[in-house]
Amino acid sequence: MTVELLPDLVLCVLLLVVAWSALFASTRRDAMALFVAFGMIVALVWARLGAPDLALAEAAIGAGLTGVLLLRAARKLPVSSARRFDYRRHLGALTFIVVAVSGFAVSIILPSPADITANNFDSPVAAAMPDSGVSHPVTAVLLNFRAWDTFLELLVLLFAITGLRQLFPIEKESLEPARTWQLLVSWTRTLVPLLLLVGAYLLWRGSSGPGGAFQAGALLAAGCVMLRITGMLPPLHWSLFAVRGSVCAGTLLFLCTAVLTHSLGAGWLDYPEAHAGTLILMIETLATLSIAIILTLLVAGERKDLCS
Amino acid sequence: MSSLAANSIILYLLVAVALVMLGLYGLLVLKDPIRRLIAINIMGSGTFLTMIAFARRQDPPDPILHALVVTGLVVAISATAFALRLILAARESREAAASGSTETEDE
Amino acid sequence: MNDALLSLVTPLVAALIVLTGPAMTPRRASVVVLLGSALSFVAALLALQSVTTSGATQTLNLGGWEDGLAIRLRLSPLSALLLAFTALIHLLAGLYARFSRFTSGDDFWVLSAFLHTALAALWLSADLFNLYITLELIGLAAVAMVALSGPKAYQAAADYLLLSLAASMIYLLGVVFLYSEYHTLDVIQLGTVSADSARTRLALALITAGLMLKGALWPLHLWLPAAHAGAPAAVSALLSAVVVKGPLFILWLAWTEVAPADLAREVGPMVATAGMIALVAGGWAAMRSPYIKVLVAYSTVAQLGYALMALGLLMSWQIPQMHIALWLFVIAHGLAKASLFMAAGEMQGTLGTRRLTGLRGATQTVPIAMFAFAVAGGSLIGLPPSGGFLAKWVLLEPILSQPQNWPWAFGILLGTLVSAAYIFRVVVLAFDRATINPPDTRPYLMGHWLALLPALIVWGMALLGEQLIGLLAGGGV
Repeated sequence: MTVELLPDLVLCVLLLVVAWSALFASTRRDAMALFVAFGMIVALVWARLGAPDLALAEAAIGAGLTGVLLLRAARKLPVSSARRFDYRRHLGALTFIVVAVSGFAVSIILPSPADITANNFDSPVAAAMPDSGVSHPVTAVLLNFRAWDTFLELLVLLFAITGLRQLFPIEKESLEPARTWQLLVSWTRTLVPLLLLVGAYLLWRGSSGPGGAFQAGALLAAGCVMLRITGMLPPLHWSLFAVRGSVCAGTLLFLCTAVLTHSLGAGWLDYPEAHAGTLILMIETLATLSIAIILTLLVAGERKDLCS
Repeated sequence: MSSLAANSIILYLLVAVALVMLGLYGLLVLKDPIRRLIAINIMGSGTFLTMIAFARRQDPPDPILHALVVTGLVVAISATAFALRLILAARESREAAASGSTETEDE
Repeated sequence: MNDALLSLVTPLVAALIVLTGPAMTPRRASVVVLLGSALSFVAALLALQSVTTSGATQTLNLGGWEDGLAIRLRLSPLSALLLAFTALIHLLAGLYARFSRFTSGDDFWVLSAFLHTALAALWLSADLFNLYITLELIGLAAVAMVALSGPKAYQAAADYLLLSLAASMIYLLGVVFLYSEYHTLDVIQLGTVSADSARTRLALALITAGLMLKGALWPLHLWLPAAHAGAPAAVSALLSAVVVKGPLFILWLAWTEVAPADLAREVGPMVATAGMIALVAGGWAAMRSPYIKVLVAYSTVAQLGYALMALGLLMSWQIPQMHIALWLFVIAHGLAKASLFMAAGEMQGTLGTRRLTGLRGATQTVPIAMFAFAVAGGSLIGLPPSGGFLAKWVLLEPILSQPQNWPWAFGILLGTLVSAAYIFRVVVLAFDRATINPPDTRPYLMGHWLALLPALIVWGMALLGEQLIGLLAGGGV
């Protein structure tokens, strides 16, 4: 046990305690609030583990979007009465976890701890980086080496929003902010331009450092959600071509690139080397747009956004 | 940035497994769908923590694993948002059905 | 490979046209999506032809990167066959949804095209993480389609989604452990380097648990009946016919390619036993169900038991017959089940009841739908010369040739008896012309005939039996 381990230990204990209390909080509202806090700690852990890309993404999602999502949900739900402290449940969870973790430690880690943590592998990414068109390895993996994953990921967003559209069959106005909180409005005025700026910066920065389409999209979405909730942004009517077009834009450009590289170039998603950087930036820009709009709709979309 | 001490990686792996198990336990015993959704997200965080801890074995950290986590996060947030809206809609429809039936009973 | 990619892209293009196109009425959407399915089917047949004539599996490294860095797509005779099968089922379900009287919701078209894309991406992928995303895509599309039938189905859809998310997380954790040991996600590469270690065992256990939950394989099937029975008929048909086969395909990849052969041999009997129990327990639940669609849904649990059993025996004996039997079952069951669900939906709608007892006299009131139900049921039981019989024959041959394998044959016999029991239960009710349940509305014959179509195709499978067996005879992939 060394002193170096101390910050890690503190983070780990915090992570477990908050996760535990989020799961077994006495009221549902406490559970939701604690889960948002959990997201922040997770972001800290990612930063500690040398993953700034992910820390950014997690902060934008865990603290930002999930927070809004859960708080809006909490508003629609009745206040649940506080649950009695059920020690059997806690004891059960404790036993379950202790058994599983010690089982994992004994069977997987203890036989060869060095094997688990060994750094015995040269990643092929480093060698391929010069041909990728960007200088940040994570972006290179996301948009070049494993671009097919990212394409399908955009489809995941598209599927989710199409699924959400099925949930408004009854002609009925959902509750909307009849009274907008003045403080929220003024904060929104201050924060949103900043969010837009940071989002755009992250998008541009993605090719050379931590950042990229998803982080930028999530931040932009957070800004749009705030605008939408305070009523400063008009409803994003699904019937508008601009809305549907931007929802599909990332997927469409990706698909066109794939088909064109396949029919004219070297192969499916095989970017011409000279234009790889430009292509990636274009795809990222449209992907950011799609991600931002879809996440906004997923979090804050109401009947008048999605079914009109 | 040097690669993290082996002990830290093992610590994070153990915590990751604990998180996954905590989430799994919550999924098994909790009834409230929103709490179950939170449990699934905690499972997800545990899985991502495993990935990032493994990525840290190398210096600089393995970009493939980081990219996979970014993709995983997008999938997780879209699915979570959809699931939450679905849970609320299910609840609403149940309440509507319940109030509808009591109204007809009143008549 | 070109044709396979075309088969993957056409449904997606159709979906995007429907989403963004101006003035897209449901009728126009149906035309676009049906055209997409038809084109995709033709492309899949061409791919099948090219892969059988060249006789070799084709792979494509996306982006032109080397193995291990790129995601690899692979076109084998099996994946080409599954591409064609998926397109065919989507075409049949789409035709039914278009021309039957009971609408499936306006967004059925977009969602079914999305589902088609996701499935095609799954059959072609040879990368464990990429497969994870396709699983999530399929899950989301399937849940959204269950929600198509309106607020009463939301609860079932929400439960389905939660379980599906948990299942894919468990699967992903398994994939991560494999990657941590072998530094690759590529199925083909993993197959050459994987060894029997504690971490590999843990990874495969997690992958198996996640996929069995996703695929409603016994004992993790409890979510299936509510979700499949709650959806509109055309959607139920898709869910039972193709959606549950996706996880099964990955499970097959994991155990026949990724897992070391000795480990697979060791685990095989357990998988086969789970299949045998599924066969009996699912059949029993189907036999006792008071609702038409729940009966059909439980029969899916039971029929997946055959596939699971074939997979288990394939793992433990590693003989190509089991491979053939497994995929013949998948295809025969898919076609028969599509027919059953559509027929059940038609009868339910026309007779105005969800209860089985409402089917009294159905041979007189809804003769064609009832005929479709009986014909498709015949294939499930395995009556010759249907596709179900073909699959069962291939499965039984190696079992019967060795006396020590006869316990498995007993399981299959039991399963056959149970499935005969629940199918005949419906048929007997339908012939009860003494107390007829009068139909609410005049039967709309087009829907009934379309429900019969897949059942006729599954009986026609016997004609193609030799080609199909030859196609799958390559063993592995």
